[in-house]
Amino acid sequence: MAQRGGDRNRRGGDERRRQYARTIGTDGGPSSVSRRRFVEAAGAAGIVAGLGGCITSNGGGGGAQEGEIDVGEVPDEPITLQWAASEQEAGQSDKIVSALHEAGMPENIDINFLSGGNVTSDRQNQYEQWLAADREKPDLLRMDNGWTIPFIVRDRILNLERVLSDETVDRVKNNYFEMSVQTAMDPQENTLHAIPLWMGLPTMQYRKDLVEQAGYDPDGQNWATESMSWQRFSEITADVMQQQGMNYGYTFQADVYAGLSCCDFNEFMSGWGGAYFGGVENLFGPIGDRPVTINEPPVHDSIRMVRTFIHGSNAPNTLNQYAGNIAPVSVLNWTEQSSMRPFSNGETIMHRNWPYSINVNGAPDAFGENLGVMPIPYAVSADEAEYAGTGGPVAALGGWHVAINPNTQNMAAAVAAVEAATKDSFNFALFEILGQIPPKPDLLDTQRARDVPVMGRYMDALQVAGQNAIARPVTVVWPDQSRQVAQAVNSAYAGDVAPEQAMADLEQTMEQIEESA
Amino acid sequence: MSLASVVSRPANWTERLSETQFAYLMLVPVFLLLGVIAIWPLLSTFRLSLFADNLTGASTVGEFVGLQNYVELLTGQREAILPRPFIDLSQPFRSALPVTLIFAVVSVLLETLLGFAAALVLDQEFRGRRWFRVALILPWAVPIVIQGMIFYLMFAPGIGFATDPLSAWGIFGETPLTNSFDSLAIIIIADVWKTTAFMTLLILAGLQSIDRSLYEVGRVAGASKWQQFKMITLPLVLPAVLVAMLFRSINAMRVFGLIETVSDCGTVPSLSCMVVSSFSSGRYGTSAAIAFLTAAIIGGAVMIYIVQFARGQAEVI
Repeated sequence: MAQRGGDRNRRGGDERRRQYARTIGTDGGPSSVSRRRFVEAAGAAGIVAGLGGCITSNGGGGGAQEGEIDVGEVPDEPITLQWAASEQEAGQSDKIVSALHEAGMPENIDINFLSGGNVTSDRQNQYEQWLAADREKPDLLRMDNGWTIPFIVRDRILNLERVLSDETVDRVKNNYFEMSVQTAMDPQENTLHAIPLWMGLPTMQYRKDLVEQAGYDPDGQNWATESMSWQRFSEITADVMQQQGMNYGYTFQADVYAGLSCCDFNEFMSGWGGAYFGGVENLFGPIGDRPVTINEPPVHDSIRMVRTFIHGSNAPNTLNQYAGNIAPVSVLNWTEQSSMRPFSNGETIMHRNWPYSINVNGAPDAFGENLGVMPIPYAVSADEAEYAGTGGPVAALGGWHVAINPNTQNMAAAVAAVEAATKDSFNFALFEILGQIPPKPDLLDTQRARDVPVMGRYMDALQVAGQNAIARPVTVVWPDQSRQVAQAVNSAYAGDVAPEQAMADLEQTMEQIEESA
Repeated sequence: MSLASVVSRPANWTERLSETQFAYLMLVPVFLLLGVIAIWPLLSTFRLSLFADNLTGASTVGEFVGLQNYVELLTGQREAILPRPFIDLSQPFRSALPVTLIFAVVSVLLETLLGFAAALVLDQEFRGRRWFRVALILPWAVPIVIQGMIFYLMFAPGIGFATDPLSAWGIFGETPLTNSFDSLAIIIIADVWKTTAFMTLLILAGLQSIDRSLYEVGRVAGASKWQQFKMITLPLVLPAVLVAMLFRSINAMRVFGLIETVSDCGTVPSLSCMVVSSFSSGRYGTSAAIAFLTAAIIGGAVMIYIVQFARGQAEVI
């Protein structure tokens, strides 16, 4: 909030004041403070005061959450819960509510899905403001697994182990993808604070028709399940580019944004056996007491490889054994949508993106069955990698959870809705309605999943991605670190800074951020 | 008590006030309003800036640390947690305070020069002047997001028509929107494109308030066009120019939306970008300190202007 003041109409005001003074009989003579100076000073004070903007303290959250809560029975009267979601859910709200009812949510509970923006950081800021202000609505919140943990650590969302049955909690902890559940748990207490709703699993999507025309056999060589090396990937891409006379071989996302640090760079780095903080055991902390391992040879090599893809092997800081010039320099300014555009337009052979891109490009009126999907390539195998969880076809974990607002006045109904959201039938329904991938490995290997239009064709590749998913290192300092990573990596990819220098500087910065928490 | 005496009481009461007292009385409602909507948030922001960040607890801020946030910001100890350094004169295009000042000074100067030139043209009588004015003001009517998208699309690699030729001539790099220097230049150009119209209109209003008979006197006295401009136009339009520059400078030093739509705050860090990014990270103490510093810097510039302006006015009188 900013106000701007001014000393408008000074002269006119002075004249009117003089006339008024003459009318009422005051002397109008010299005074210790001239009117002009006084009004000028007042105007200046107004401007200065108005410039500050407004940031106010909101008090705090709820404090430590301990002990069970007796939520009681769901009341008999109609209840409408507010669920902060997205326009996708809001657009299919009837079907989703029906699915929840079928999964056991009482019939008298209805849900009003709030359609939020698609920019995840905007949603995060919105939730922070709502919850810090102790708002009672929305009752339920859809949260990105990339920033749920900071809300848990700050006691902004309800500890579900206080309200869910032990059986449900155990089911979530044992039956879901482990990495996904870890992003919904308190890293110190190991308590569950959110339920994974669906997973985002990035894959390498490609033009199967063009690849086959170039003489390759994706089905015969099991590309969907047997991930290939980055070296072979680059050679195939370059070859198909040449044979098909295409300008773009491979598009991905390397803009200065959160998606680079969480995902694309994380995949390149992890595929080389590199890591942010050693193995996966340090992903979620302890902050300040874990090694920063960003400045190591595997990470440097991953940057050189990407530079080769973009700038060719004749450019400085590249790798000779990889085919170069397969990615346009535009990737340095591309995010998901902008990088998908040339792929959807038929100008690209290989494209790294999230499952929604499979739905878009695999639709019958798009590429249909000419769309191929395979796991992300890798440089070293998991056995060769130094750090646990790295090496092999690593896929950056995306996806969303549902959490309960601790201030809700409909606790019993909210718990009933969340309980229903853990049921297999609901996971399948979300997959069928919105193409959102179930967060349970067992569900992916079923006929019902394979029967889902478009996405069902690619369940094999998605299962491999799920098995090799790695979460971003989400902690309360990750937003600060993520920004620095994105800037440093983009600069290194662009060639503004050598990989070693960029990572050495980044290592120092990340250590300082670790200390700042 | 007669009705007449009751009615006349307020007049008698105000008549007894001195000029100064009366002025303060008239300003009371304004001060009350400012107190609620401006001064209270400013003081609240300052209060918040005296507390440590609290990333791991339920409360919004941590313990009271006095001026530590300011000290650490100004001595470079907070660089790691900010998108870019707060002050680093060795990389002026990559740190917040120099970027903000460069943007404000360069854009306001260019807008003033171009706006002045356009206003001088529009002050003349010529056919189609009305349409020219409409065309000139169109960019000012464009919403900031649209303005940002126009320039984003111009320079976005793979889409923008401006990137390839400018890159080939060596003016910009291949991806100007991820390069701090290139992006700052583009954002300045975008701002000049939009806001020159604002300067033109304010300066034109000043030009049209000049008594035309002064030019007649100048011509009779044998003054050249340049002498008329220097001795008549410039002194008389200067107050309007300075007021326009003041308002533009205040706005320019708070630049945020244009940066976010054309490039991003990590590439072109302004002071407002720092406020928003640290706020988004939950570092409320740091965010408040930067916000207050921003207000203080702008307030200082405004005070200097007002003192100088008042002095100049006194000399004219």
